Amino acid sequence: MRAILLFLLATVTAWSEVPSGMAIRNARVVTVSGAVLPKATVLIRDGLIENVGPDLPVPADAWLIEGEGLTVYPGLVDALSTLGQDARPSGPPAAAAAPAAPARGPEDRPRTFSWERIADKVRAADPRVETARGLGFTSTMTFPVSGIFAGQGAVMNLGDARPSRLIVQSPAGQYLSFALGGGGGGGRGFPSSLMGVIAYVRQCYLDLDYYKQAKAAYDRDPKGRTRPEYDRALEGLAESPRLLFPAVGLSEIDRILRFAKELKQPAVLYGLHEGFRAADLLKTAGYPVIVSTKWPTRQADADPDLVETTRALETRAKAPSTPGVLAAQGIKFAFSSDGQSAADMLRGVRKAMQMGLSEADALRALTLSPAEIFGVADRMGSIEKGKIANLVVTRGDLLSERPRIEYIIVDGVKYLPPVPPATPAAKEMTR
Amino acid sequence: MKYSLLLIAALASAQDSYLIRNATIHPVTGPEIANGSLLIENGKITGIGAKLVAPKGVKIVEAKGMHAWPGMINCATQIGISEVSSVRETNDTNEIGEFIPQVRAVVAVNPETEHIPVARANGLTAVLTLPAAIATGGGPGASTAGQSIVRGQAAMLRLDGWTWEDLALSQSAGMLVRFPAIQTVTFAFPAGRTEVPYAEAKRRYDGEMRKIDEFFEKCRRYQQAKKAATPNFQADVQLEAMLPVLEGRTPLLIAAQRERGIREAIDFCEKHKVKLVLMDVRKPGAQLARLAEKKIPVIVGQPTDLPMDEDDDYDAAYALPAVLHKAGVKFAFATYDNQFARNLPFEAGYAVAYGLPMDAAWKALTIDAAEIFGVGEMTGSLEKGKSADLLLSDGDPLEVRTQIKMLFIRGKNVSLENRQTRLYQKYLARP
Repeated sequence: MRAILLFLLATVTAWSEVPSGMAIRNARVVTVSGAVLPKATVLIRDGLIENVGPDLPVPADAWLIEGEGLTVYPGLVDALSTLGQDARPSGPPAAAAAPAAPARGPEDRPRTFSWERIADKVRAADPRVETARGLGFTSTMTFPVSGIFAGQGAVMNLGDARPSRLIVQSPAGQYLSFALGGGGGGGRGFPSSLMGVIAYVRQCYLDLDYYKQAKAAYDRDPKGRTRPEYDRALEGLAESPRLLFPAVGLSEIDRILRFAKELKQPAVLYGLHEGFRAADLLKTAGYPVIVSTKWPTRQADADPDLVETTRALETRAKAPSTPGVLAAQGIKFAFSSDGQSAADMLRGVRKAMQMGLSEADALRALTLSPAEIFGVADRMGSIEKGKIANLVVTRGDLLSERPRIEYIIVDGVKYLPPVPPATPAAKEMTR
Repeated sequence: MKYSLLLIAALASAQDSYLIRNATIHPVTGPEIANGSLLIENGKITGIGAKLVAPKGVKIVEAKGMHAWPGMINCATQIGISEVSSVRETNDTNEIGEFIPQVRAVVAVNPETEHIPVARANGLTAVLTLPAAIATGGGPGASTAGQSIVRGQAAMLRLDGWTWEDLALSQSAGMLVRFPAIQTVTFAFPAGRTEVPYAEAKRRYDGEMRKIDEFFEKCRRYQQAKKAATPNFQADVQLEAMLPVLEGRTPLLIAAQRERGIREAIDFCEKHKVKLVLMDVRKPGAQLARLAEKKIPVIVGQPTDLPMDEDDDYDAAYALPAVLHKAGVKFAFATYDNQFARNLPFEAGYAVAYGLPMDAAWKALTIDAAEIFGVGEMTGSLEKGKSADLLLSDGDPLEVRTQIKMLFIRGKNVSLENRQTRLYQKYLARP
């Protein structure tokens, strides 16, 4: 009996639509890019939003959904995740595993995988994809996360099609992390300190300038010239549309804002738990940010006699106010799951809403803003004619404590949310 | 043969006697004597008062405008057993073994160490030399894993003598113990900060606590067996060395900076009925009253140090001696190093600037330090019958600008020349 139930569960949640035309008639439509349409029809065809507006005629071949009492939202976006990658934390790619000899300097390109594209590796089979979709997420910016230059991320739809059909944009940006790769020098080679990591990043961009010029000069007149050495690390940097920098605390935010300006590269900051302290800095600099919804908490097994600093306590109390502060200052921001489940991410967003973020601003940060940050707002992030049909259809508010999701539409394909886990009473009935 | 014996006798009797006249005398244990005289004969103070008649043959020291103080005592150094800490061959510290009470710092002391003349130049006449380093400084310290627990005997050294026997005021002034601590965060160069979960740190701590409890029980059993003259009793050099501790003659020296460490050290010593001197105390917190009540002496952490925690008052370290004094805790000063041992008076000077009464500071620098380590009968104050260990200065020695003019150790007028003054003279004469 139980086996049958499991089987049913699997088939129900993987349900998808065959005809390519669909219409949701007379629903409340939260377009995000424009006003809320209290009673409108959304037409979907070939994975795109064919049209949206009040009183649109429904084509004869379209599968009709009566939208009375339903609300249509753009699908949610997790602006920085590892969805679609191996569940275990992505180590350095096997081909580029740590060199046998420790790096002596920047010329050895330590912990650099800038040329690697995560788009070449994603797989829809990641169970987290289905979980996230069930909660209304239709896209994510998935990034490799290990290494100083970890590699190129991709914008990916959370459907269950072939991975190649899911990629919306690649490369979407270069992920940087300043972690010291498990503790310092001691034979591990360069760089063994934060200072070294930053110096290395700076050096790479100086090298890139030279590399571009040397290549251009050679291409103009190769005869009689020694050809410049091919450098895959710099090739990777040259094709990075933007850099994602870690910046959780105030000093990190300050540092990265200066550093990004110096590098003259489009930058996005991620982390931002002390963003509430850095509103002025961020506003002046004008870089968009991705706020981690993994709000700081007291370490579960901390030393009971540990003296916590007022600053740490204040950060813990006020970190969730960061999105509200950013919204008030007009700073563009999106949310990331930062390794948490999609449910925890939404819990984190609701926490920010309790601390001053309006529902409209929260929704924008989960839809159109991430699309804008990653340069894909012309194709996704809101309900507009011609954009990708990534939608969530609910009964009631999507960002409420217990949203009632009716359908999730990714690339025009309709999915049903997973059946809620069996309550004890329900279990009884299956016996 | 006869000739040489006579010569020795002649040398001994030729030890100069001195009458210091018209000095402001600060006995520390009694009221200040203006225009006082001090008679030094056979290494001892034989007279002190307003007007003393010079016996025949004594050297007169005209000390108008000068101040006579007892010599200062630095209560934690490794002078004599560590010359240059980074040159391995010059270090005779950190003996191997988990319980090594039989290790005596005194036998390894090099009387020719360059640190002795430097320390003397600022008015120090004695130092406590520890058999191993003890952790100092705020923030996470080096991991103590693998370090010995009972680390050996500390010696109180006077800073003049031909041999280590000669230098020793007390060959065994304390038994240094590295008391187990719950270390969740450690710091080492170049690996950096390492964190272990609390549960793991606690487990290690519990293991070490069992070991040290077991060791003390073993020592007690040894003591009992010896006392009862058990027929096949066998002497054991390790356990024998613990007898003075068990008999309450030698205190345990335990470094404990914070409240928890202090509480546990006191509990341990009460349980095993042994005497305790706490070293490097920085944040006694609620244990302050207990220190006073149980009359547990304290060697304060360096006053010129940063506060331990971010939220501490900026002057937490400066003001601690005043706090201890007000609470009625007996304490003394130390620099916990060799190269800056000479800064002892300035450390105390900071404490005075932050609320410690001047007379209390002087007691802590002299008689209290001597009493804590069991040499208070011999030295530490200007009193008749005590060893003539004193300084003459042109002002308050806690002021940086004050010059030490003369220094007497066991009645000998010792040179204030040292490596620094030699270099000074050399380069002054540079053409």
